[in-house]
Amino acid sequence: MISKLLKFKNYRLRTKLIVTYVLLTVIPISLLGYIAYSQYTKSIEEQVGEYIPKLLKQANENIANQVRELREYPDLLYNSDEVVGILRKDAHQSRSALLQDEFTVNTYLTRTFINGSSQDILGVFVISKNRIFHSTKIPYSNFGLVDYSQSYGQDIQLKSNDVFVLPHQTSLRFEGDPPFVLVMKQLTDLENRTDLGTVLVAVNVTFLESVINEMSEEGKADLWMMNQDGRIIYHTDANKIRTIDREFNKYPKINGSFRSTQEDEGRLISLNYMDETGWTLAHSVLARNLTEKTDLVRNATIAIFLVFVAISTLISFLLAWNVSSPLNRLTRMMKRVEKGDFDVDLAIGTTDEIGMLANNFNSMITEIKDLIRENYQIELKQKEAELYALQSQINPHFMYNTLETIAMSVDDDEKETVVEMVTLLGRMLRFSIGNKESVVPISDELLHVKDYLTIQKIRFEEKFDFIIREEIESRNYYTPKFVLQPIVENAVKHALVYGRVTVIEIGVCLVPGTDGTEEISFKVKDNGTGIKEETLADIQQMLASDPMAKRDSHFGLSNVHARIAMNFGSGFGLNISSGHDQGTEVEIKIPVLKNSTEGGQQKLEKN
Amino acid sequence: MKALFSLFCTLFIVSACSLSSYDKESYEVIYSIDEVVAEEKDAQNLQQITIAIVPKVANIPYFNAVEEGALEAAKDLGVNLLYKGPAFADASQQISIIEELIEEEVDAIAVSANDPEQLAPVLLEAKENGINVITWDSDTVPEARDFFINMVDPETLGRHLMDTLAWNTDETGEFAVLTGALSAANLSEWLYWIKVHQQEYYPNMTLVEVSANDDDPQRAYASAKKLLKKYPDLKGIIGNSSVGPPAAAQAVKELGKEGEVAVVGLSSPNPMNEYLKDGSAQIITLWSPKKLGYLTVTLAHNSLKGKEPFDWQEISKVGKIRMIDNTVIMGDPMDFTKENVDQYDF
Repeated sequence: MISKLLKFKNYRLRTKLIVTYVLLTVIPISLLGYIAYSQYTKSIEEQVGEYIPKLLKQANENIANQVRELREYPDLLYNSDEVVGILRKDAHQSRSALLQDEFTVNTYLTRTFINGSSQDILGVFVISKNRIFHSTKIPYSNFGLVDYSQSYGQDIQLKSNDVFVLPHQTSLRFEGDPPFVLVMKQLTDLENRTDLGTVLVAVNVTFLESVINEMSEEGKADLWMMNQDGRIIYHTDANKIRTIDREFNKYPKINGSFRSTQEDEGRLISLNYMDETGWTLAHSVLARNLTEKTDLVRNATIAIFLVFVAISTLISFLLAWNVSSPLNRLTRMMKRVEKGDFDVDLAIGTTDEIGMLANNFNSMITEIKDLIRENYQIELKQKEAELYALQSQINPHFMYNTLETIAMSVDDDEKETVVEMVTLLGRMLRFSIGNKESVVPISDELLHVKDYLTIQKIRFEEKFDFIIREEIESRNYYTPKFVLQPIVENAVKHALVYGRVTVIEIGVCLVPGTDGTEEISFKVKDNGTGIKEETLADIQQMLASDPMAKRDSHFGLSNVHARIAMNFGSGFGLNISSGHDQGTEVEIKIPVLKNSTEGGQQKLEKN
Repeated sequence: MKALFSLFCTLFIVSACSLSSYDKESYEVIYSIDEVVAEEKDAQNLQQITIAIVPKVANIPYFNAVEEGALEAAKDLGVNLLYKGPAFADASQQISIIEELIEEEVDAIAVSANDPEQLAPVLLEAKENGINVITWDSDTVPEARDFFINMVDPETLGRHLMDTLAWNTDETGEFAVLTGALSAANLSEWLYWIKVHQQEYYPNMTLVEVSANDDDPQRAYASAKKLLKKYPDLKGIIGNSSVGPPAAAQAVKELGKEGEVAVVGLSSPNPMNEYLKDGSAQIITLWSPKKLGYLTVTLAHNSLKGKEPFDWQEISKVGKIRMIDNTVIMGDPMDFTKENVDQYDF
């Protein structure tokens, strides 16, 4: 369970939201529906359960009235003094007298009971002192009482005043097998206080039938009347008459209703006990039949429930989507930012929490962008300062050598040479310390290099020479300051070989660039011994690495390369090619910087 | 997936509402009007009920028959029965008997009163002692008892007695009445109605004397003889109490006046059997004293159980009774003649 919860905790927010929404809507609705439906059916059952026992009570009262009437039938015999007189006699008489008595009594029975007002009487039997008098409406057979089979010879002594003999207790059958009960009553000679005999009145149970069938509602419900042993006296299902209701002893002993819970199909059973006879009137109906009409309600409820669930699920999906998709977008944006792309804009129109988050994200990104730019600028300025220092540096060696050469020239009294050298040196110094602009026209840069080479040429005389080729209108193009000088200085330093003339060629031309635009290419070529392969590889590796890193050797090369790369991007910079005894060629590529100094400056700043 | 699963779960819960549960008892009561209490004989009521019956007088056939009926009822109902009567129909003797019964702490006393006024104080005393008091056969003042069990309607009986005599005297001539105690309420009432009926319907008949005998057979016989001698033209005698007709019939028979003097009245069939058959008496009228005894005990028992009698109540082994103004009426009087007297045994 806990692990499940933990698992759930780790689910995607969208899943969580959907699950939560669905649970929040489905559970209350289903609970509500369930409770409403079950309460509804329960209340129907309760209503019916309350209503039917009352109905049964009413029916039982009707039946009890009829039973009271039935019980009075035997008393009709008392109405005839003649009959009572005959019953008072005993059987010890002549045959003819007995037969006459029998005729008299039978006639009376026929007149009073069979032709009497009650249609329900099937027959009357009077057992008195070894004599049987009878009169029946329809032929019968097997008159004899199972439980009282010995009674023919003797008078029956009933403990109570009257007894209902049920069909199963007697073998008496009438033609057509109509269901009947026998009302058995002791005839007491009220005056002499002796027994006269027993009267049995067979009564068709139609009196039950009419009352019971009336209530059975087209056979939906079963109704039956049973005695205190559960023996069924009358049942709406004719086959069950005379059988025993096996559940009878398990029924709660109440006048009321109860539900059977054990059977497959729930039944609502109602009972009413009749004091008159000890009989119980029962009514049983399938709960299904009661709730038939409510099934429509239930189905409608379920249908509505399903629609609700569908709608709420849809809504929950939309809501979850609404929350999660901006977050997903945010995640994607963040990944892009992580990769260095600060040009992102999380456009979310809403002003809710998600919108606020997006706005905050946007402002955060902007802030970061600004901070980065600021830091970058500071760094740049610092570098510029460094560069400036570098730029303004005049190699002391060169100064020393130059001044030495001038001193020698003064010794030799070569006035023009001294003048020229001092002029050149002065111009160089002015270029170095001159205007602080970092970008100069290419012609100026070339002039500066030319001044430097001229001084070297004066120093080394015929052992050294140089060529400068300008293939562009150099006055119109600009270059960062001091790009060429460190390279040329390097070339002079390494290419000078004793015993042959060292020539340094400098070329400026336009070459097509990688992206189709033109670039400016400076080439510095010497005819020296070249660079050893290992050293060249080292240098190239150094140049390819971070231009910002500080280093001690190859300062000139790396400085130039770094400045160019920093200013114009990694596509620009130095390129060195060299072979043993084939000299070295250094190519410097810069973008085309044209027009005014201002424009160049702008371009520089931009990058 | 999870959402789908929970959806199914809830659907199942909803659709499961029609399924039944099995863990309860087989039947769940929904509504109950009342419990059906299996009819038990109240076992805790082991205390025996004692009912005392006090007749006007002991040892005459009529009250002996009452005793028989009372004993039958006592047996049927399972109660103790005390049957105590005075030797003569005398109120003071009855008073002492009742006083004894009060001391014995009986539960109910049923009295056939010899005097409605004299018996009242002792019956009230009995009532104060928590004894149910009813009267039968002959009433007291109404305050002294709960209800009175009358055998027949006094008007019906009185008029009927007069009729039976008139049938046998051709509605003419002198007649006398033999009565019990003059103080007995029932006898006085019947006598009243006899007189009324005679005046209304039989102007040719004359009541010459009413002779009281206090239900003493010897005295009754003597007064009957006296009457026959005193009034030679006497056409009939009505015995107003059960002692009268046998005494009158005996006297008529002894004086050889069978057929000349009609004897009718109230008496039991057994003592009159012979006289009816030999013609010294014509019709006697009565109810079943056995039935009366039975009814008295039954109603006394009922009243101890808190069940007061009501109009048209069906009493087991008795039949329907009437209840009019605190008086129970058992039924109609029966006539016994020589034809049917053999059917009766009391």
